[in-house]
Amino acid sequence: MITVGMDLGTQRVKTVVLKDGAVASRGQALSGFDPTKAAEQAVDEALKVANLKLSDVAYFAATGSAMDMAPYANSTVSMMGADAKAGVYLFPKARTIIDVGAEEARAVKCGDKGIMVDFVVNERCAAGAGVFIEAMARALEVKLEDMGPLALKAERASPINASCVIFGESDVVSLIHRQEPKPEIARAVFDAMADRISSMVHRLGVNPDVVLIGGVAKDEGFVASLNRKLGLTVSIPEYPDYAGALGAALTAATRAKGAQK
Amino acid sequence: MNEENIMNEPVDKRYMPEISRKEIDELKTTMKAASEKVIAENIERMKKADPHRPDAMKYFDEISNLFGMRQEEIQAEKEKGKKVIGYMCLFAPTELILAADAIPVRVNSGWYDTSKLGDRVVPVEVCPVIRSTIGAKMIELSPFMEQSDALISVLTCDGMTKLSEILSDYKLIWGMNVPRIKDSTQSLRFWNDEIKQMKTQIEQFTGNKITRKNLKEAIELSHRATKAFRRLQELRKGAPVIMGRDAMLVNQTFLWDDKLRWTEKTEALCDELEKRAQRKDWVCSPDTPRVMITGTPMFWPDNWKLPTLVEESNPQGIIVADEQCSGERILNDPVGVDEWSMDDMLNAIGERYLMASTCPCFTSKNGNQDRINWLLNKVKDWNVQGVVYYVVRGCMLYAMEYTRVKKALDKINIPVYYLDTEYTREDVGQMKTRVEAFLEMLTARVDM
Repeated sequence: MITVGMDLGTQRVKTVVLKDGAVASRGQALSGFDPTKAAEQAVDEALKVANLKLSDVAYFAATGSAMDMAPYANSTVSMMGADAKAGVYLFPKARTIIDVGAEEARAVKCGDKGIMVDFVVNERCAAGAGVFIEAMARALEVKLEDMGPLALKAERASPINASCVIFGESDVVSLIHRQEPKPEIARAVFDAMADRISSMVHRLGVNPDVVLIGGVAKDEGFVASLNRKLGLTVSIPEYPDYAGALGAALTAATRAKGAQK
Repeated sequence: MNEENIMNEPVDKRYMPEISRKEIDELKTTMKAASEKVIAENIERMKKADPHRPDAMKYFDEISNLFGMRQEEIQAEKEKGKKVIGYMCLFAPTELILAADAIPVRVNSGWYDTSKLGDRVVPVEVCPVIRSTIGAKMIELSPFMEQSDALISVLTCDGMTKLSEILSDYKLIWGMNVPRIKDSTQSLRFWNDEIKQMKTQIEQFTGNKITRKNLKEAIELSHRATKAFRRLQELRKGAPVIMGRDAMLVNQTFLWDDKLRWTEKTEALCDELEKRAQRKDWVCSPDTPRVMITGTPMFWPDNWKLPTLVEESNPQGIIVADEQCSGERILNDPVGVDEWSMDDMLNAIGERYLMASTCPCFTSKNGNQDRINWLLNKVKDWNVQGVVYYVVRGCMLYAMEYTRVKKALDKINIPVYYLDTEYTREDVGQMKTRVEAFLEMLTARVDM
């Protein structure tokens, strides 16, 4: 059976094609101003790679902040629900899933079979999410992808305030004026984010099997800071940015089976 | 409440900014029109939510119009010489107001737009209920606030405390000093003294003596209202026969409606609902996750966004109970009178307001358990499957007590979600994401 999960995120649409419970292909497109069209493209791309047609798909499920605009969708699943499904599929022992995307960070606690039992979302503020790194990279005049490697070179961290992107940026500017080395400032940015996210996770209650997904999981600087703050090593799948779409595809598979019965 | 607390003559404006008559009139016209639209939309959505909505709800729909029939009635009464006494906290002893043949109305603002006006007076970090009430006063938006001849302000949270000072730029304010530790004999004695002084205050102001007879009548009316109220909440314990929003609207209209008529209409509603329960005509599937809301008061009309989201979400939820001072805390507890002597009645009124209250403004040496116990009881009795802990930014007491509530609910394996918001419509999308995820989680648990 073929199912497709679509994750209509704030920056990108990601899709995953699932064939009999295994990932067959992935696709993505920039969300832009027309998430519906972007999703069509991303679905198209993934189906092409897997040599499939739209009519082969038994069930489509959508998630992500623009899920209501998803094309083809038979149903939707919340982002937290999708996180839980994907996290436990990828790492069966996982009971806490942290998802850090462009504009939102969340932590989901789940039981067996990836059923979510609790969740926390960062409170209406981008300081714990990907755009924070982007803004700080701009202030440091560093490419986004260089932020991580830079931070890993730091010997210590300078503290900054991560209660808000705007204030964080002015903190970074004053560190620049104090001529703190760039690696230390970069690490400070990741530490500040990790601080916020680890307090979110602590509100849920930590357990040792933590999975990190979402686009920001690809940033080694952030991962190092988060591991330090949590005092453990988080598990990261090969394609962390596709986890939401995978969760939706898994949900689609469950729901398609339910519909067959 | 002592003499110095009584600010009889509004002195110079100590807080309120200068605002021209023209600006007041313009803003009032726009915001009133916007509010009437919100009220109509809320009611429309509530009608749609339940195809077999009880006939008795028509009355509450009408009373829900803050700019409609009820304010006209009050105006007519005022012209005949009746006094209107507004209040901002549930602790205000409405029985005394009724006994003195005056009209009690609660005047907290539920308007999002006016909170932005409040920003001219206090910083945005201040609780939006307070900012919005200030803003509403600035442009004279609230008919009930404008009609109030005096306001009873109970000094519960920091916001309420300073709000009374700010509003004294316009209105006669009677502050009531509520003790923060309620489970001690001194506290009750202190509070009962406040009640007695309030009696004198109301008598002097209205020119009407509060006699044993009219106070007894007022308490009896309050008993009857409580009985009707409890009957309605009782009906929400089983498979759902009324949408949560409808019940919440009924409860909230008590704050400004005529108490006797409200009671009769609620009784009629209950008659209808009992028949509905016999017919097993449920408003939604009995498997729908049963939700309780607790936290910051949620004033009509703009604050209907959370209940609307819960009940229109996919998957859907049904609100079966709340623990809020804008909701089920209003009427749950009767005035427990033994002997009907004046002293006994006044003490009973004092106790009813102080001892029964689960407001988070209280604490105690042994960690006052009242709110926790009450929440746990409600979860059990109303078969609640999930709790939404609703807090507006700046509402410190509710925000701080969350951790404790969560721990208590964790122990009985009831999920609770902390939902923080503001007096704004712009975050509905974000709230929807969270509410849907929470309900999805509850549905999965129900299916397990």
